[in-house]
Amino acid sequence: MPKFYHDDPEWADIEPIAQEDGGPHPLAAIAYTDEYSEAMGFLRAVMVNNEYSERVLGLTEHIIKMNAAHYTVWLYRAKVLEQLGADLRREIAWLNPTALKHLKNYQIWNHRQTIIDKLGSPEGESEFISTMLEQDSKNYHVWSYRQWLVQRFDLYTDEELKWTENMIEEDVRNNSAWNHRFYLVVGKKDGQAVPEDAVQRELEYAKAAIRKAPQNQSPWNYLRGILRHNKLPIAMIKGFALEFADVEKPDDVYSSHALDTLVDIYAEEEDKKEEAKKALELLATRYDPIRKQYWNYRKGLLGQTSAMA
Amino acid sequence: MAASSGKPSSRLEELLSSSKRVEDLSLTDDEYEDMETISTVLESANATYISSVALPLQDLLTTETSEVQDETLEAILPFLEGNPNGFELNSFGIPKLQRKIHIPFLHHALGDYPPQFAAMDASKPWILYWCLQGLTALGCSVDDYRERVIYTFASCQHPQGGFGGGHGQLPHLAATYAAILSLVIVGTPKAYSSINRSAMYSFLGQMKQADGGFTMAPGGEEDIRGAFCALVTLSLLTLPLELPPDAPARKHGLTSFTDRLGEWIGKCQTFEGGISAAPTNEAHGAYAFCGLGCLSIMGPPKETVNQYLDVPHLVQWLSYRQCAPEGGYNGRTNKLVDGCYSHWVGSCWALLEEAAGPGIFNRSALGRYILSAAQFKKGGLIDKPGKRPDAYHTCYNLAGLSAAQYQYKFDERANGDIGQGALGAPYYWKVDGEWQGDGVWGKVWDKDDIVQLIHPVFVVPWGKAEECRSYFEGKKDL
Repeated sequence: MPKFYHDDPEWADIEPIAQEDGGPHPLAAIAYTDEYSEAMGFLRAVMVNNEYSERVLGLTEHIIKMNAAHYTVWLYRAKVLEQLGADLRREIAWLNPTALKHLKNYQIWNHRQTIIDKLGSPEGESEFISTMLEQDSKNYHVWSYRQWLVQRFDLYTDEELKWTENMIEEDVRNNSAWNHRFYLVVGKKDGQAVPEDAVQRELEYAKAAIRKAPQNQSPWNYLRGILRHNKLPIAMIKGFALEFADVEKPDDVYSSHALDTLVDIYAEEEDKKEEAKKALELLATRYDPIRKQYWNYRKGLLGQTSAMA
Repeated sequence: MAASSGKPSSRLEELLSSSKRVEDLSLTDDEYEDMETISTVLESANATYISSVALPLQDLLTTETSEVQDETLEAILPFLEGNPNGFELNSFGIPKLQRKIHIPFLHHALGDYPPQFAAMDASKPWILYWCLQGLTALGCSVDDYRERVIYTFASCQHPQGGFGGGHGQLPHLAATYAAILSLVIVGTPKAYSSINRSAMYSFLGQMKQADGGFTMAPGGEEDIRGAFCALVTLSLLTLPLELPPDAPARKHGLTSFTDRLGEWIGKCQTFEGGISAAPTNEAHGAYAFCGLGCLSIMGPPKETVNQYLDVPHLVQWLSYRQCAPEGGYNGRTNKLVDGCYSHWVGSCWALLEEAAGPGIFNRSALGRYILSAAQFKKGGLIDKPGKRPDAYHTCYNLAGLSAAQYQYKFDERANGDIGQGALGAPYYWKVDGEWQGDGVWGKVWDKDDIVQLIHPVFVVPWGKAEECRSYFEGKKDL
């Protein structure tokens, strides 16, 4: 059933502002339904009046149902909720099914962040996020929102770490989960080194993941990221990388990422430039030829001292 | 563990047998038969090429990621190896750029939409920009749209500055970016002067945050798009670098739009080397372009990019975005190829190669993906085979094609007097010719497949950004 306002006595005091597209034949004009068009006319009018009321809350809900990708309606709704001192738990309860219906929507997540920030509690959020990720395990907005939650509520906990483990267990190639884990481990104190035992734990964790699927780049990036963050020498994983590639055994390569890693390891060693070049040659001719020019660029870097540290 | 894939050749057999059937039916037509033979030879060459760039190493472990990757490649390979759309082929055995169907597609996308498109209500500025940019990339004049572009955006301009998605909508930096670029594309003082510059200056001042970044809208999210859109606007409109007196960021000691900005962008570079929407988010191709674009507006990229980013690390991450054997780019590690990253990743190179040196990326493979796999049979360009075309993918595939076809160079002596003031760096680019192959790979397009020049930072037709900047540099007051 379409909902209209013009014959609703509750809205009799409002003169709607009609859509004005600027000229006789505007570009990309949409033939709105009467219902959408009228609701937007009333929204424009209440926005001009800075009206923050229960009825406006209802109006924004109505428009969001018709078009959830309308940032203006979301931003104005947030303002109305704030001015009314509305029940924010109720807002979240309404938001959940709306978010599930519109998985790729940007605005919902900013709105949710605004509300949860005001509520001051992350209660129930982890569960809801898990439901969302079941539908789309790499949804950028959902992961970004989760990162915000961790920072806002100091959720650098074992529980959160365990959760990333479950996500990675489900799909060891889910790079979003690896990214989340990385900032969980290193992020608490901006720029500071991770404690020794945590570093060991993370290195072993990444190595175990690589052994499952050596051509999966996510844990390689993670492994090297942890070393880099703690300013540890990449030589620490030389033995590990050699398990998957050895420039002397060009037929027995199991991971191009191991070769890539060996290039950087050899680049830092004395008199190992030739080995580094051999690894690059293998990548360019055999194991990753689409990036030939890039491997050539890396050759150029070998001449520069510790450029790849 | 090392399993080499024998798929391409077996699929080619299927292809050959199906084209043979066509041949059998048209035996009377000698000419057609010859064409068929030639194209079969070319297709076989394509299959050989694809096998040569496929990654020989594939893990046996299957997960959701590997499953969708395998399905995707399965759907794309026939387009890379053969010509299921039946397009006319160029001299490299690759579909020609199908201008004749892409142009009407974009004109049509500028037209009227039925009610079910209400979800687009807030994105109309984007539709206009993508269509106008796409049309100019294809060599079409958009002069006839000028009047309509001007008044369509007049209805989107907010009295307090900036543009929204439509009449009565709040100002938003994405809408503002799309509006400014559209007005720059159609050009002329009438278009430029339709922008309320002093209100815009004040709006941008409200978006600047204490940590150096920008929010997209009042109360909206803070991410690297905001920073890029704001700097594009400040530069093209020649606005003062100094924050307006009432900018909230002033309370935190900031005085300029660029204060703490380089550092903030630096924090968006992740442990993978790529750039994310905001610190701690995942590295993503579209945000990489925003970050590099921002730094390239702040100064000569050779200086700013090297100052705030780890260049070899970013080069590495961007290189890995090129999917093999697809040749197109994905946006994140372990994600699928998508034609829109032809631009978001592909256009990073012109900016990044200023800081890292030339000749790093595989233009040939990128061009192949766009021409072979990203052209829709009935016009418009797409994410990947099986998807529907839209103005977004059409614009950014074409911009990516342009990035593959041309070389640009930053040159302090380019453009004479334009770009003397604040944020003037992006007016010092010059065209360094068409790419002709590099000894490793050759080009895969003919003259007819070459799109128009595009400004490497602003993504508008060559020369249009300079015209706009020059107009505003001549204005004394806001």
